[in-house]
Amino acid sequence: MAANPMQQFEVHRIGPEIKISGIDLSFTNSSLFMTISAVLITALLLFGTREKKLVPSKIQLMSEMLYNFIAKMISDTAGKKAKPYFPFIFSLFIFILFCNMIGMLPYSFTVTSHIIVTLTFAIFIFIGVTILGFVIHGFKYLKIFVPSGVPIVLLPIITIIEIISYLSRPVSLSVRLFANMMAGHTMLKVFGGFVISLGLIGGWLPLSFSVALTGLEILVAFLQAYVFAILTCIYLNDALNLHH
Amino acid sequence: MSDLEDLKTRLKIAKSKLQNKNLKKADKKGVFLGNAFKLGTELVAAVAVGTIIGFILDNWFGTKPILIIVFFLFGAAAGIVNVFKAAKKMQGDGN
Repeated sequence: MAANPMQQFEVHRIGPEIKISGIDLSFTNSSLFMTISAVLITALLLFGTREKKLVPSKIQLMSEMLYNFIAKMISDTAGKKAKPYFPFIFSLFIFILFCNMIGMLPYSFTVTSHIIVTLTFAIFIFIGVTILGFVIHGFKYLKIFVPSGVPIVLLPIITIIEIISYLSRPVSLSVRLFANMMAGHTMLKVFGGFVISLGLIGGWLPLSFSVALTGLEILVAFLQAYVFAILTCIYLNDALNLHH
Repeated sequence: MSDLEDLKTRLKIAKSKLQNKNLKKADKKGVFLGNAFKLGTELVAAVAVGTIIGFILDNWFGTKPILIIVFFLFGAAAGIVNVFKAAKKMQGDGN
């Protein structure tokens, strides 16, 4: 095993180098694990919904619970108007969840521990929600930068603050997921390294710590996917139901 | 025999109620932890965005140190606004 705790985040090419007009599009370990999670998700949902029994099998129950969980989350946070966006939020949540969870397996690669991946998600959501807001409300959407009941003198300052607050959404969304995943996996590797270097006598303490951390990391993996999805719902809600 | 049946149904109802309560509690715990993660990054991200905007504007207008300072402060204010909004939302959910 590698002693460097950051080596697990290295992206390397698998197979031949593919270059299209100067852009490196080679298949990497990152793309491999994205593909694995996409295939697993598709398999779970396809097998889960193949036999529509009244008394569900375990796999059917799992996919139905996932569906219900997201449907309830969307209706709780964004209301009935957000129903058309269910497929997007469902795919987002389940993809991040599977990437995080597959990252917990030994020798695997955590796709979401790279900021470029999470930032791409976040910027896509940010631009999509902004366009949606302008399409639905027209230029009235700019009202979210001007809270009501603010004295005229303070208005320019408040508007700048609100714009910065709006622009910080994709940053906080992506940094949260990336930082949590990366910090957790680095910590697991560091404690794993302690077990080896302290040997049979002193290694038990970091080993027990490592076990506890693994449990925590599984919780974090689920929770971060949940937070990502719920914040997407909240942003969607702001764009759909304009009230300030 | 009817007494026994009665007791059985009552036990069943009580058990299901207890289970519901436990489920809700576990649900809430996860939400709290999620909120805790949310607040920290919310504060920092706005400061970072404000500083970056200040830096870019400084380069545009050639007013090197002034705008970055001003926008750093704006960013800090925006961060506090973010946290304030999030906390308000949480309070609304709690009630």
